[in-house]
Amino acid sequence: MIEIKNLSAEIDGKEILKGLDLSIGEGEVHAIMGPNGAGKSTLSYALSGRDGYEVTGGNASLDGENILELEPDERAAAGVFLAFQYPVEIPGVQMTTFLKTAVNSVRKARGEDELDALGFLKLMKSTCKKLNISEEMMKRAVNVGFSGGEKKRNEVLQMAMLEPKFAVLDETDSGLDIDALKIVADGVNALRAQNRSFLVITHYQRLLDYIKPDHVHVLADGKIVKSGGPELALELEEKGYAEFSKEEAA
Amino acid sequence: MSAVIKLSNRYKAETSELVLSGWDAYVAETTAPDWVQALRKRGAEKVRMMGLPTPKLERFKYFNVPAYLKKNALEFGAVNIELSGNTEYVSELGASYAHAFVQNMLEATPAGEEKYGDTMLWDLANSVVANGHVIDIPERSKNEKPLKIKIKGEAGKAFSTRQIIRLGDNAEFSVIESHTGEGAYWNNAVTQIKIGKGARLRHYRLQENSDESLYTQNMHIQIEEGGSYEAFTLANGAKSSRNQVHVELLGENAEVFINGINLLDGKQVGDATITVEHKAPNCLSKQNYRSVIADQAVGVFQGKAHVHQIAQKTDGYQFAKALLLSPQATMNTKPELEIYADDVKCSHGATTGQLDDEAMFYMRSRGIPEKKAKALLIEAFIGELFEEITCETMREEVSKRVSEWLENHE
Repeated sequence: MIEIKNLSAEIDGKEILKGLDLSIGEGEVHAIMGPNGAGKSTLSYALSGRDGYEVTGGNASLDGENILELEPDERAAAGVFLAFQYPVEIPGVQMTTFLKTAVNSVRKARGEDELDALGFLKLMKSTCKKLNISEEMMKRAVNVGFSGGEKKRNEVLQMAMLEPKFAVLDETDSGLDIDALKIVADGVNALRAQNRSFLVITHYQRLLDYIKPDHVHVLADGKIVKSGGPELALELEEKGYAEFSKEEAA
Repeated sequence: MSAVIKLSNRYKAETSELVLSGWDAYVAETTAPDWVQALRKRGAEKVRMMGLPTPKLERFKYFNVPAYLKKNALEFGAVNIELSGNTEYVSELGASYAHAFVQNMLEATPAGEEKYGDTMLWDLANSVVANGHVIDIPERSKNEKPLKIKIKGEAGKAFSTRQIIRLGDNAEFSVIESHTGEGAYWNNAVTQIKIGKGARLRHYRLQENSDESLYTQNMHIQIEEGGSYEAFTLANGAKSSRNQVHVELLGENAEVFINGINLLDGKQVGDATITVEHKAPNCLSKQNYRSVIADQAVGVFQGKAHVHQIAQKTDGYQFAKALLLSPQATMNTKPELEIYADDVKCSHGATTGQLDDEAMFYMRSRGIPEKKAKALLIEAFIGELFEEITCETMREEVSKRVSEWLENHE
């Protein structure tokens, strides 16, 4: 259960989120759509704790725990996961090392036993297989030389291995062709579960054809301005975001 | 007995207070072999005339020997040098000897007067020559495992260890030096290397001198046709350390690799000053350094490739990268190329930066704690150089020490 109440956040002193309220029940998938500059990425970074995104008011809790007071790695341990719009390349750090360190850091923080080399490899191999990711990719440096599709599949792979309670997908569809989009969406759908909530942030309706949301919200000028069912996304696709920009101006 | 090292007028203002106790006695000692006495005398004369290098000299701009000597009263002396590991070599000529190739400096055949570019510290070392070994590897011989040379500094001493390593044609040899010690001391070390035709020397150093020590390493390497020299230095010790390397590629198709990692913290200064002279065609030289600098430490890389007119088809490469872990950390980098031949391939590059914020956040968002994420990024930064170490034993030793250093800086 995610409760975001009256969340305000700024970058370099400029207010981007202006009192955002959002509640996501267990196992639910919510989509946030909105025009450029509405604060979509800021919301994902504020929730995951990136430096420079300063929360100036409100709170966000995951199962009753205020995550805004936690360090980024503590949030991950608490069950928050951010699938990046632009996954970061880390030359010199091998995927396997990266994943093993991440999985065991999270397991340790959650009070679970760390996986030994063999246990980890088994988990990695089976997850790779499920997501149609070649094991050869795991020998490469993190995201280095990955295609756009590989990068996004890699995000889903990390999500699968870290087993979050709450996953934020930040414009996961950007830079993907339709086939890659489908593979990524299948991966996400396979991870839908009773105890896992999703917040899908996107500019276009397209992604929501594959990852079907329970609720759709419109984010404009730092606030949720409209909420509805999946049909809202179709409506937006047809009419665009002009309506919400006008409301602001009025 | 004590002596003031008198210095020429140019540097007098900086160093007139210097007192290196026991220096006179060393220079004047009469029981040593003739060649030793002669070398000491020549060295002492030059020291009296030229003095010690100060930061007013361009090549010593970032390295202050007099400042250290002013703060620490040291007495000239010798230290124990331990040789271990595989001190046997196998000769294709049929014989197998133990230790026979190692002679104490004072029992060795004269090393001869060598030319050396930056002579001030070398002259000082000559003036007290005594403490070290001559290692002669006959042609077509090799050691299966590296020879280990352990030098341990003693508090209050100024000393000058020396290794002369000479490889006959087509010989193969490997050496791992380790430098440790306690308290304040100064090792002004000299290493002279001659590599015969087609011979190969792999020379590794673990520089873990005490945090209070001064360590100046003077290296001179001459490589004949088809010879190969691979050096790797891991430097995480000493208050101030300088690895000064002068390489002469004398015959065609000779190659040299001068690589190193500096891990510096506190107020350490770590200086790598390298000159490679290409004096024959078709030679390869590679200088590759990584520095990780924490706290208020200072790193220095001054690398130079000097390509003489005769040295056509030279392949010269130098690359120095530094990672600054604190806002007070400093890196001084000065890559230089001096080229007189017209058909050469030379490149140099240098970068100084800090840990990538985006990579840090990405890793932390995956649950990796800050310290661990930093360690992974630093290991990635210097890991590229591990591959340059062709000796398995050494690669493990370096990797182990890097991990330890990172743990202490988490």
